Amino acid sequence: MFFAEWCFMDSHFLTRRIHSLTGVVPVGLFLVYHLYLQLYLHSGAETYNNSVNSFYDSPLAIWALVIVVYIPLFFHAFLGIHLIFETTVQPSYTYFSHLLYWLQRISGIGVLLFIIAHVWNAQLGPWMAGTWGTHFEHLSSGFSNPESGMITKTVYLFGVLGAVFHFANGLNTFCMTWGIALTPKSQIRIRIFSILLFLILSASSLYALAAIW
Amino acid sequence: MPDTVTLKIKRQDSETSDSYWETFTIPYIPRSNVISCLMDIQANPVNAKGEEVTPVVWESNCLEEVCGACTMVINGKVHQSCSALVDQLEKPISLEPMSKFPVVRDLAVDRARMFGALKKVQAWVTADGYHDLGPGERESTSHQEVAYKLSECMTCGCCVEACPQYSLSNNFLGAAAISQSRLFNMHPTAKNIADERLDTLMQKGGIADCGNAQNCVEACPKSIPLTESIAEMGRQVSGKFWRNIFQA
Repeated sequence: MFFAEWCFMDSHFLTRRIHSLTGVVPVGLFLVYHLYLQLYLHSGAETYNNSVNSFYDSPLAIWALVIVVYIPLFFHAFLGIHLIFETTVQPSYTYFSHLLYWLQRISGIGVLLFIIAHVWNAQLGPWMAGTWGTHFEHLSSGFSNPESGMITKTVYLFGVLGAVFHFANGLNTFCMTWGIALTPKSQIRIRIFSILLFLILSASSLYALAAIW
Repeated sequence: MPDTVTLKIKRQDSETSDSYWETFTIPYIPRSNVISCLMDIQANPVNAKGEEVTPVVWESNCLEEVCGACTMVINGKVHQSCSALVDQLEKPISLEPMSKFPVVRDLAVDRARMFGALKKVQAWVTADGYHDLGPGERESTSHQEVAYKLSECMTCGCCVEACPQYSLSNNFLGAAAISQSRLFNMHPTAKNIADERLDTLMQKGGIADCGNAQNCVEACPKSIPLTESIAEMGRQVSGKFWRNIFQA
């Protein structure tokens, strides 16, 4: 890989470090910003639509979204899927960290499927149907649909919680990978921090979902 | 207490043949360990069906959990069979060879890959020639405390056996070798080639293949802080990562 040689590094190492980095910056940070925006669901249709549309008012919005979110996200996802195939299943080692290791991989697959459905449902679908702009109405009608509403709600609930878990636990392993948390004590501190982050982000996203439930 | 102990052993007649399970029932001896059970089977190789079979092959040396030779999977978890006490194990006791190494015969495996990994990370003190280099640098007590714990590694293979990232088909160095590279990167003389060790860790099969499952540190019979070692080497390669981009 030319880029790796240019960086004086083995591409195997470089791609894995970029995988680790992209999970936190920018994808993880985008997740936090995205979940924060959803709190506007409580402010009513007009405020919510305005807050979402104001982002897309910029002529660079699509480019920013593609470069800052989609490319890093799909790089992270595709290498992540590749990594899952490199693992061995060892159910007799029932340690908590080992459980988190598997939950991280399972949630990764689940969140990727959710993101594909979510982008189709909330972005590409309305674009192609020409109903772009009325985000609040689109979301709430999807949730209250008598036929598919329950499925949509369930998918969003698990998708959002899965994403929050994947981010919080990923931040924990990020600190090990990059050698930020060294000692067992500091690793426990980071774990407590990531559990708190999981709880806060979960509470925030559940509160946001409650507005249109 | 029962009069007998039953052992279910996963056997394999040669490197290439298929494995099969065989059950042995031997007299119970208080305070015995798995090795003494295997010795009993060796003395009287008759399986539970009463058939005379070839004695079960296993490896052992020190019998005090410092050499690592008798490591095997006991009741689904990897451990040294010398320090696996029959009184503390669930019966029947199941014995399997480690799954991450090629089986030589029965419970004996070839751990050459572990030693190959130590060679790759140059887990030794580098000293050129035979001339007198004078006294080495003094090591502080706090340095010794860290180094001594790391030096207890016996390359037994427990960490990599429990590791979901280490498999027969890949070339991951494993926690033991990463921890040894930490030990020698902190040694006053051996740290001369610290960067070479980091180069090895930054190749395919190096530290980037760690998946943070942290089974290694749980499985380590010597309680070596392996995840701390991996994080420390992660920090060192992170430094080299930025140095390679901005300074190389």
